[in-house]
Amino acid sequence: MSELVRLTDITKVYQGGVTGALNGVSLAIEEGEFTAIMGPSGSGKSTLLNLVAGLDRPSSGSVTVAGSDLGRLSETGLARFRRDRIGFVFQFFHLLPNLTALENVLIPAQLRSRVSAASAGRALMSRLGIGEVADRYPSRLSGGQQQRVAVARALINQPKLLLADEPTGALDTKSGDQVMALFAELHQEGQTIVLVTHDPKLATRCAARVISMLDGRVIDDARLETTERKPADVIRVRSEEPSR
Amino acid sequence: MSLKYGVLGLLAEEPLHGYEVKNRFEAMLGGTWEVNIGQVYTTLQRLERDGLVRPVGSRGDRGKLLYELLEPGRTALNAWLSAPDQGPQRLHEEFYVKLLLATRLANGDLGPLLARQKRAYLQLLRDLNQLEDRAKRDGRNDLARLVRGALLHTEADIKWIDELSEKNGGGSRDTK
Amino acid sequence: MTAILVKALADLRRRRVQAAVIFLTVLLAMATGTMALTLMSQTRDPYQAAFEAQKGAHLQVEFKASTDPQLLASTPAIIGASAAGGPYPATSLQFKHGGQSFYVQTFGRDSAGGDVEVLNVTAGHWARANDEIVLTRSFAELNKVSIGDTIQVVSVPAQPTLKVVGEVVDIDEGSADLSSQHAWVLKGAVPALTTPGLSTYLMDYRFPSDPTSSQLQSYVDRLRASLPPGSITASINYLLIRSIFNITNQIITGVLSAFSVFALAATIAIMATLVTGIVISAFREIGIMKAVGFTPAGVIGVFALQVIIPALAACLIGIPAGTILSQPLLANSSHALGLPYVPSFSLGLDLLLLVGGLLVVSLAATLPALRAGLLKPITAITIATAPRGRSGGWLRRQAARLRLPQPIVLGIGDAFARPLRAALTLVTVILGVATVVVAIGLPRSFQLINNSETGAGNYQVVINRSNALPDAEVMRILNAQPETARVVALDGENIAVPGISDPVNSRIFRGDSSKLAYMVIAGRWFSGPGEVLAPAGFLHDTHLKIGDTFTGSLNGQALQLRVVGEVYDISNLGHELFMDYATLPPNTPNSDPSTYWVTLRPGSDLNAYIQRVAGTQPDLLDVHPNNTSLIGPVKIIDSVLLVLAVVLVLIGVGGIFNTLLLNTRERIQDTATLKAVGMSPRQVIVMVAASAGLLALVAGLMAMPVGLYLHRLLNDVVSTSTGNDTPPSVYGVFSIFELMAMPLLAVAVAVVASLVPGRWAARTNVIEVLHAE
Repeated sequence: MSELVRLTDITKVYQGGVTGALNGVSLAIEEGEFTAIMGPSGSGKSTLLNLVAGLDRPSSGSVTVAGSDLGRLSETGLARFRRDRIGFVFQFFHLLPNLTALENVLIPAQLRSRVSAASAGRALMSRLGIGEVADRYPSRLSGGQQQRVAVARALINQPKLLLADEPTGALDTKSGDQVMALFAELHQEGQTIVLVTHDPKLATRCAARVISMLDGRVIDDARLETTERKPADVIRVRSEEPSR
Repeated sequence: MSLKYGVLGLLAEEPLHGYEVKNRFEAMLGGTWEVNIGQVYTTLQRLERDGLVRPVGSRGDRGKLLYELLEPGRTALNAWLSAPDQGPQRLHEEFYVKLLLATRLANGDLGPLLARQKRAYLQLLRDLNQLEDRAKRDGRNDLARLVRGALLHTEADIKWIDELSEKNGGGSRDTK
Repeated sequence: MTAILVKALADLRRRRVQAAVIFLTVLLAMATGTMALTLMSQTRDPYQAAFEAQKGAHLQVEFKASTDPQLLASTPAIIGASAAGGPYPATSLQFKHGGQSFYVQTFGRDSAGGDVEVLNVTAGHWARANDEIVLTRSFAELNKVSIGDTIQVVSVPAQPTLKVVGEVVDIDEGSADLSSQHAWVLKGAVPALTTPGLSTYLMDYRFPSDPTSSQLQSYVDRLRASLPPGSITASINYLLIRSIFNITNQIITGVLSAFSVFALAATIAIMATLVTGIVISAFREIGIMKAVGFTPAGVIGVFALQVIIPALAACLIGIPAGTILSQPLLANSSHALGLPYVPSFSLGLDLLLLVGGLLVVSLAATLPALRAGLLKPITAITIATAPRGRSGGWLRRQAARLRLPQPIVLGIGDAFARPLRAALTLVTVILGVATVVVAIGLPRSFQLINNSETGAGNYQVVINRSNALPDAEVMRILNAQPETARVVALDGENIAVPGISDPVNSRIFRGDSSKLAYMVIAGRWFSGPGEVLAPAGFLHDTHLKIGDTFTGSLNGQALQLRVVGEVYDISNLGHELFMDYATLPPNTPNSDPSTYWVTLRPGSDLNAYIQRVAGTQPDLLDVHPNNTSLIGPVKIIDSVLLVLAVVLVLIGVGGIFNTLLLNTRERIQDTATLKAVGMSPRQVIVMVAASAGLLALVAGLMAMPVGLYLHRLLNDVVSTSTGNDTPPSVYGVFSIFELMAMPLLAVAVAVVASLVPGRWAARTNVIEVLHAE
């Protein structure tokens, strides 16, 4: 599998900050991997994701995604990169309220060319289980539906990389489960996914690789096993004989 | 917890043989508690002695004895069901002892110990997640609920480790 | 109270750009409004004041020279005049000065003072000897004649020289570039200067109270009845003079008032949009303010003040500015009245404007802010932003169907997302574009009228003949020139017409006059004797229409006349008759033409021609090129229109700018999202520009009929005030291309105005906006 993301010695300092948001992070992500980046708030995990997405530029170091050195791209170049190479799913969905669900999904495609992608959009939405709400406005959709619309929007241009920042943070448990199940499915079909979360249960749900961050540094990069284990080996409900 | 109330609870549904009690109990707990058939019979005998259950059938044929719940048994069961679990919080004794000893012996540098434990917990979480998926897929909701509880407990353990890590490495870190 | 002020000022500091927009637009609106109202309030009075100061004549009547002066002296009693001046002997005088020939109607009068028509000597002194002459100041200024200059009279064989000793202001005349002027000599000097057959007597009458038009008519009728027939050759009354004088000012103030109302309306629209926009964007803040303890009135106050404070500053500068700017126009009219220019304005008016302006501004600011006051705190905090408009979907889908690029599609959808705001913005732009249409069209219309009045492009040389040179000789000279293509000779007569008290000034054309540039509004040019044309004023007052016949009277002889057409002519407020020379009875005295309009063959050398012809009879012929320049009042109106157009365009641009700022600020989350999913900065700018462009296009298209209607309306007002109907060609001064181009131009301007907010939106920091929760 080829390498999709490479970060080399990334630092990010904000004006007025004494400590950096990121202090020397290097890592690589292979195609087809499901990676979770975990850490408390302020650990730099969202900043890292923003850099990979081309939404921000590092103070030093290089970011290479899908063969492009993001440092060499202009603002327009980064915009095109975001449009074609990655899909981003936000915690708060960020759909455009005065466009229908379908129109929201189609935006990245229509920014690229004028050819109508409506049928592809509808097909994608059906696959994600939201086919029947295509012509509704976001205000009439539940949180889970909105997030799935956002996922569809992220996927419409068949990006190499899907990035998600706390995608279930604004959802109830049931919807959150649905979205995570969706991610698992997509990963099984070969999509490279990077998930940022503070919740270790979510992080380990689909990802076999969990990167832990603290204070702008990677403190652990764990590759976990995925073997099936018997329930009794995983949970022990203790038995205790009362003494008589 | 002892088998006593588990047995009483199962007998409350219908009279059962000893081996039926074992099988049902294990099934209910999804394989997370392996029960010794001998323990079941011992428990049944004690319950009979205490007048909470009684065998149905002749005494001689022990293998095929059906037990049924008596009124006092039902009362005791209900009392247990309605009382909250007021036992103390149980911690993983092994890890806790390791932690205490390591603090003494390793001069306070618990970093590697904590890191290794955390990784183990992560793996456990992964395994639990997969178990939960399988349980949901197979329609085993009791098991799924149990696994959910385990996940949350493990998450709590991880939080504990994170805090300890903070205090461990963060003593010298003065913010702003 | 302080808390409200403090908060309002703090918000204002944050919203500097929008405060600037309010400041500028209110400034422009108040300045033009003040100018208009100051002019209106000040210009009526000076004329009346001057009239009273000069004991102006309510009625001036011209009598045949053969009338008995004793009889004339008794006429004041006949009509009940409280004071009279004259009879003054008068004759038409032609003289040369500085190489040019001039014609003035000269009166014999022994002093400038008297009981009526006191003349205001502004320089020099009244004539003291028979060889001294007094001219009007207007004439002297126009033709650069100074006191002490000598002029040579050429209308009498003796050709005496006279010395210019004084300048007067006569409020009964217009300015020298518009109307012929008078001159004065001592009574005893007149006989020597009189051309036989061209002399008259003038009487000035003044009445105890200002008579009405019908009263004046009855006075003239009474005079006519008590004198031998044909004694009265002309009359003019103060009402007519005043309206001629006032036309220019009326047009200017009318135009200024109308357009400053526009400016004010546009500014109000902008203010309302701004306050609504601020309220919408500050929803959450409102909730917090209320939770902290601001009363509803306090909340309203905070938002209203953010608009009122810059508007107040603008009023404090704009009202004095407008007052100052009105002064040059006032000076112009004072000068024409012979009054010394005194800076005149009404402080009371200015204060009224300040209060009125503030009131209007406060209303425009407070009404939209009411919503803020009425909002429940908890609603505001939880909703955080006002519900975002959903309309615009239809437009967007149409644009998508046209396969326009996505940024344009999104921008088009945004334009009308908030219908009220879009409507208010449309109003400001429509007013701006409509004003431009008028500002371009009206000067063109005036140019057409000017051309028809001056014969621009039609005849190039104007020749005046002295009485000593016979008409036949002039024609011989002209026809002998190879470049002469056409000569139209003119004679002027006064023909009495039933229904009109004064004999009507008539232009008698000899030659192919149908090719002159007069605009025929209905019917046709005359083709033979007895056929006449007249402007609408004449036809209206005589109750005649095309095809009617009537009997006019000239020198006691009856003329059978038939109306064959309606013509456009502003002389004498529409009381004018046009006819062919053949219509005159054969023995009409003094009917030989004395003015000749010559059209040259293409390619002729104008100056050579003029020099040659003038050289044949230098003393008896006055040859000069046709002066086709715009008359003074038109120039003034044109500049006023230009200023107004600039003002309203600026306000319109301000309106679009303001709306775009509000829209881009409100939509910042959406813009950030679009950038995140791959919209480049350039595409964002295009999106904002498309929004502006659509608004401007719609407004521009809607503005065209409005502007054209206004253009038509104003032309009609001007025409009617001069006693005419508007010729159709004067309406149609725009080519199809221009009409199509104007909305497109509005789009271009709007797109340029959108670049600033567009760039701001393109620079949105995605992370800050989207992750800030």
